[in-house]
Amino acid sequence: MKKIKYIVAAMFGILVINSCDTADLELTNPNTLSPDTFFKTAAQVESSVNAAYANLQTRGLYARNFSFAMDLIGQDAAGNPQLEGNKKPFQDFSFNAGNDIIQYYWESCYLGISRANFVLDNEAKINALPGAVLSQEQKNKFLGEAHFLRAYYYFLLVKRFGDLPIYKTGTIIGAARSPKAEAYDLIRADFEFASQNLLSKSAEVVGRATKEAAYAYLGKVLLYQKKYDEALVAFNGVTGFSLEDKGNFYNNFMDETEHGKESIFEIEFNENNGTGNKWDDAGNSGGTGFAESTLRGQEYGNLSWYNVYPPDNLLNSFEAGDLRFGDTFYVPGSKYLNGTRTMTAQNFSTSAGIRNAGWKKYQNYYKREDEATQSSINFKVMRYSDVLLMKAECENQRAGGSQTTAIAYIKEVRDRAGLTTTIAPTKEAVFTAIVHERKVEFAGEQSRFDDIIRWGNASTELAGTGFQAGKSELWPIPNRETSSNPNIKSSDNNPGY
Amino acid sequence: MMLKFKFAIIALLIISSQNIMAQSKTVQGVITDPSGFPLPGAGVNVEGSKNSASTDFDGKYSLKGVNPTDKITYSYVGLISQTITVGTRTTIDVVLALSTQTLNEVIVGYGTQKRTKVTGAISTVSSKDIAAVPITNAESALQGRAAGVTVVNGAPGSNPTVTIRGLATMGNSAPLYVIDGVLTSNLSGLSPNDIESMSVLKDASTTALYGSKAFNGVIMVTTKKGKKGPGQLNFSTYIGSQTITKRYNVLNTQQYLQYAKDLGSDLTARAAEFGNINTNWQDQIFQSGLMQDYNLSFSNGTETSTSRYSAEYLKQEGAVINTGFERYSFRANNTQDIGKLKVGSNIGISFSTINPERSSGGRTLLEHAIKMAPYLPIYNDTNLGGYQGPSAVDGNDAENPVRVANLGYQKINNLSIIGNIYAELEIYKGLKFRSQVSLDYYTGKDHTFVPSYSDGSYHKQAYSTTNETNTQGQTIVFDNSLTYKTTIAAKHNIEVLGVITKIDGKSQNLVAGSRYNISDEIDQLRYNEGSLSSANYVEKNIGYIARINYDYDDKYIFAVSGRRDASSRFGANNRWGNFYSVAVGWNIAKESFMANSVFSTLKLRASTGTTGNDRIDNYQYAATLLADYNYPINGGNAPGVSLGVASNPDLKWESKNDRNIGLDFGLFDEKFTGSFEYFNNKSSDILFAVPLPASVGSAGGGTQIQNIADVKVTGYEISLGYNDRKGDFTWSAIANLGTSKNEVTSLAPGVTSVLGGPTARAGLENFSRLEVGQPLFYFYGYQTNGIYQNQAEVDAVFGPGQTIVKPGDIKIVDRDGNKVINSDDKTNIGNPYPDFTYGLNLTAAYKKFDFNCFITGVQGNDIYNANTFDLKGMNRLFNASTDVLDRANVVNGVVTNPSATLPRAQGADVNWSTANQRYIEDGSYTRLKNVTIGYTLSGETFGSHFSNIRFYVSGQNLITITKYSGLDPEIARADTNANSAGIDLGRYPQPKSVIFGLDVKF
Repeated sequence: MKKIKYIVAAMFGILVINSCDTADLELTNPNTLSPDTFFKTAAQVESSVNAAYANLQTRGLYARNFSFAMDLIGQDAAGNPQLEGNKKPFQDFSFNAGNDIIQYYWESCYLGISRANFVLDNEAKINALPGAVLSQEQKNKFLGEAHFLRAYYYFLLVKRFGDLPIYKTGTIIGAARSPKAEAYDLIRADFEFASQNLLSKSAEVVGRATKEAAYAYLGKVLLYQKKYDEALVAFNGVTGFSLEDKGNFYNNFMDETEHGKESIFEIEFNENNGTGNKWDDAGNSGGTGFAESTLRGQEYGNLSWYNVYPPDNLLNSFEAGDLRFGDTFYVPGSKYLNGTRTMTAQNFSTSAGIRNAGWKKYQNYYKREDEATQSSINFKVMRYSDVLLMKAECENQRAGGSQTTAIAYIKEVRDRAGLTTTIAPTKEAVFTAIVHERKVEFAGEQSRFDDIIRWGNASTELAGTGFQAGKSELWPIPNRETSSNPNIKSSDNNPGY
Repeated sequence: MMLKFKFAIIALLIISSQNIMAQSKTVQGVITDPSGFPLPGAGVNVEGSKNSASTDFDGKYSLKGVNPTDKITYSYVGLISQTITVGTRTTIDVVLALSTQTLNEVIVGYGTQKRTKVTGAISTVSSKDIAAVPITNAESALQGRAAGVTVVNGAPGSNPTVTIRGLATMGNSAPLYVIDGVLTSNLSGLSPNDIESMSVLKDASTTALYGSKAFNGVIMVTTKKGKKGPGQLNFSTYIGSQTITKRYNVLNTQQYLQYAKDLGSDLTARAAEFGNINTNWQDQIFQSGLMQDYNLSFSNGTETSTSRYSAEYLKQEGAVINTGFERYSFRANNTQDIGKLKVGSNIGISFSTINPERSSGGRTLLEHAIKMAPYLPIYNDTNLGGYQGPSAVDGNDAENPVRVANLGYQKINNLSIIGNIYAELEIYKGLKFRSQVSLDYYTGKDHTFVPSYSDGSYHKQAYSTTNETNTQGQTIVFDNSLTYKTTIAAKHNIEVLGVITKIDGKSQNLVAGSRYNISDEIDQLRYNEGSLSSANYVEKNIGYIARINYDYDDKYIFAVSGRRDASSRFGANNRWGNFYSVAVGWNIAKESFMANSVFSTLKLRASTGTTGNDRIDNYQYAATLLADYNYPINGGNAPGVSLGVASNPDLKWESKNDRNIGLDFGLFDEKFTGSFEYFNNKSSDILFAVPLPASVGSAGGGTQIQNIADVKVTGYEISLGYNDRKGDFTWSAIANLGTSKNEVTSLAPGVTSVLGGPTARAGLENFSRLEVGQPLFYFYGYQTNGIYQNQAEVDAVFGPGQTIVKPGDIKIVDRDGNKVINSDDKTNIGNPYPDFTYGLNLTAAYKKFDFNCFITGVQGNDIYNANTFDLKGMNRLFNASTDVLDRANVVNGVVTNPSATLPRAQGADVNWSTANQRYIEDGSYTRLKNVTIGYTLSGETFGSHFSNIRFYVSGQNLITITKYSGLDPEIARADTNANSAGIDLGRYPQPKSVIFGLDVKF
């Protein structure tokens, strides 16, 4: 009995000593990387830049919402009855600051900006890497991509919201709104840096921002600020591109013909890389996970959800003989599935009756009988035809510009569409031609609303839709921001919200 | 002047005057409980022999072949066994006292305490209460029986949400569970039949010993142990069925077609395609589910050892199709005395399979069922998978809920082992050393397989998907304690406790998914469109605990305790936390001046103390990178890494200061008993994931864990009991009532309010808000004031020219009068917390019949009913509540039916904004939780094969009185987080059930 006592007592003693060891309370997270030890290899630098691209793929932006939100407010698309309650307000401008689509747009852009800032905040670490690890050209190029993406996201924001909180570095303290001119200054500086440091398309792998993309966007930003001469200079940096051939317009909207000769910048999707977390919260704006497909095909497709359709006003804007019509829309009689099937009027039925057409751009029907939720088709957000028409606009608008030169740019686009060009060489006639040409060339490509706001003719173009001048030009800053950022209150919101 | 104590042991021996022979004889008598009620089936055994008998229904026994030197042991479950030497007697009547374990002694942290010496707020529930009503999870036994404790049940196999004394935190509000000294987070693996007693520790004087884990209160569970005496075999079973009878009233096909037409969709032809049928989709997802339970236990004991073994099989079909729960649980409890050394173990093992309620597209089955077009059939053999769903032509994309529930499967398989091994040594008289190692171990596998299907143009999947999550975790706790108990000068009772505890927790998970477009025949993972991730977590705690209890002659009681805790979840600067408690008690009834009073018990007690909370995710104090970004570059995937969740190196303990005053009383020999409690608790530095401004681009939902708020929680609890007996009729009534009011008293500097909580539907507005002076996460949104009847009314608010709000729209009150409805117009539109909760438990027995009736309810709370957002929102075409037939009808800008209760269909955005008073309802209810009637047959009827058999029939949730329009007011809570209180997202309703049961004692 005594023995047991001692054995037990000794056991207690050991346990007591063990209990007193507090050093092992210091734990490190085995599941994540630490910022202190990062930016040591080329792969790490590259991955930090890749993360900044990932936010382009959120549902708040190109995976879903960007397409219909912008097409609806531009009246390029109209909603069928099943269009959901949070999406409907975009066709009649009744959205308010509680709208989740606006919130995800805002969040996606700012998350992308913070990823770009994470790269730029570590510029010193990146530049300190030995040349054997990463050449100076590569360092500059990666920093250039971060600048390009930051500018890209800010440009998306400033067009929708006007004055913005501006962050040039990472923080968790919310900033007040700065005048939009400051945002434009930052965007311009970023695109300028990018145009100086990025690689040319010929030298870069597909998917990354290039020198030409930076020039195209720099020009576009300058055009939006009506700095036509400077814009032209920038556009002239876009070299080595041409339009897809006549009859091949649809190459711009298929999966197999991505990164073609007309394509300057694309938002990349590849369903083979994964189609996970399509519906979870992270997919709204976080940019995490393998959400590598878009819902565009499913959402727009008349054999699928058919949430939106091309309104008659848009169909009627196409001139007779415009080759683009058949590449932009499906109508009864259109062939699909590699030409093996023909659509009937029944294929355009909705609970509100039979529509005249459905969207063809960015649909997979050319090769598939059906749109599942996954689509790999990249969005060609900057095509060479856009650069041509923007150059025409600059030429037409700038002091001492040449209408003849402008008409030549327009003609290049119209020739490809199989149309003849007879435009009077006056500023007004050229402007009217540009308004028309952009509407049909970029139908369903989320360009129309930006264009008419820029031109100042939204009140007439959007008459009867619910558009209110002085209010509807901008979206409201989402409640999610005003309720969490002490420096932006609800009363600081855009007029009318 | 004899004072009668509440649970005093009275032993009454009646010695026969009859002379007896020295040789063996027959002994007979009656066994009763302290109230004189005869005990049927009580055990009568001659020690050390096989000679035994049991009492009949009148408590009578007769035992042959007894010698005068024999010792007879009288035993009955739940009562204290007695051993009596026979001597010359032939008639021995015995009164068995109530078990000390369940009543006279109360389980507290690291020991037990005599009830008279308790100074804190403790509610207890005994095995008798638990056995009275068939329940599938142990937590349910607390509902309505323990004042201040709320229990919300979910789908079969899910853990109930338990809250003690209202919310004092913003994160996980679940209490700590301690099963036989083993810390755990729920009671899922434990059979209710194995529980001896449960104590709910509600104030800091009782919980402070658990320091950082005790913030939300502690539920102590003691499992049944073997009893000294011959083996006792018990078998019990029940079988029954459960159903959900309440439905939302939705449009039938004819009404739906007209409603659709009004909304611009003519579906007449489409409905005719399917033969103008009328599918009641709610009826299709609910079923009557069979429940069955079998329990077998064996217990025995000798002078130096006890053991008890039990096995249970529970199978529960859910009241929702393709849901269910199946569990095998086993338990072995042993003790062994080796001189002054006592060793023992308590081990429970359970295997379970859960078929959870499935969902799709981020919508629950119920949401699909109430929104689905009624003219669609359930099945269509020509569709892949065999189900019919909507197409674009239907203009309504609710999914076929029967397909969602039945196609493929989801199975969660769990294994849990929970137990301890301990050794206790009496080193010196009164000085004990105890060492205990406990383990809480689980593995889980959640496997989902969905084959390919195509219901229509909206819902299809051209491949099968398989997803699997494997989790494994273990917590090992080493406790080493020393107690010294002594009495000085007969009146100074002192007990000192010291404990060192060390907690090592580990958990890991592996999450994988794949799809396969070749075949539906393989339901396993493959390297196809795969996703794969794993994670590992470690948590460590160290605690030093001390407690001193002192009382003078049981009259004046003092208790002091302290705990110093360290948690690995906090940074080095704030790792240690100190917790303490002080309590005093005064047994007034023991004073000489009370000698002739009617009070058999009168005790005043007060306590104060602190506890802490470290329930945040691990590693939150350290900055991390997130490596979960991907972008296609050059055809392949380019992985991305960037900043992760915003870290906070200054994180510190959440702490709570409890103050409690209690009064216990018993009148007329405890015929009338009661207690009253008042508490005033203050939580400080409450941890919360504060939403960061979206524009700073923080990941992980855009939050940072901060010590953000202070909250005050105050309340009363009253428990009253009465018991009486008249001849063969005995009855008792126990009523309790609890209140709990919380208020945010301060927020971190620079923070004026925080909006959070779940949204009504994915992506919609938050409406739960934190603000100083308001309850935690009250409902914050737009006030409504009727419907705009004409354009003049609209213009009076917004001025002329705006085109969004029109006649027929809801009048949202423009509180700031700026002619714009925006978030500045939001205000307090509801309080999710009840004014009070209550329970009433009635029991009665007459001869062989027993009866139990249990009523519970809450009063004064608001529920946000997210389902009415779908049913009455009318923002697009879905099936809707029949109330939409009474919506505003607008003709030429004028509402033609001014009495309309709902706005026009598809009106302005604000009509259906989720943060809207429209969806708030009164959540008060009174529910007949249980009625049970039993009948007991004594063993003689069956030729003594059994001691006795009890048959019973029991009904649950049979009657509910409420104004709430949802399926069940009791379930109004989205998840275990504080900010989901009062939000009904369509969670699994409590079914009605009827059960037949049988308890056999061999």
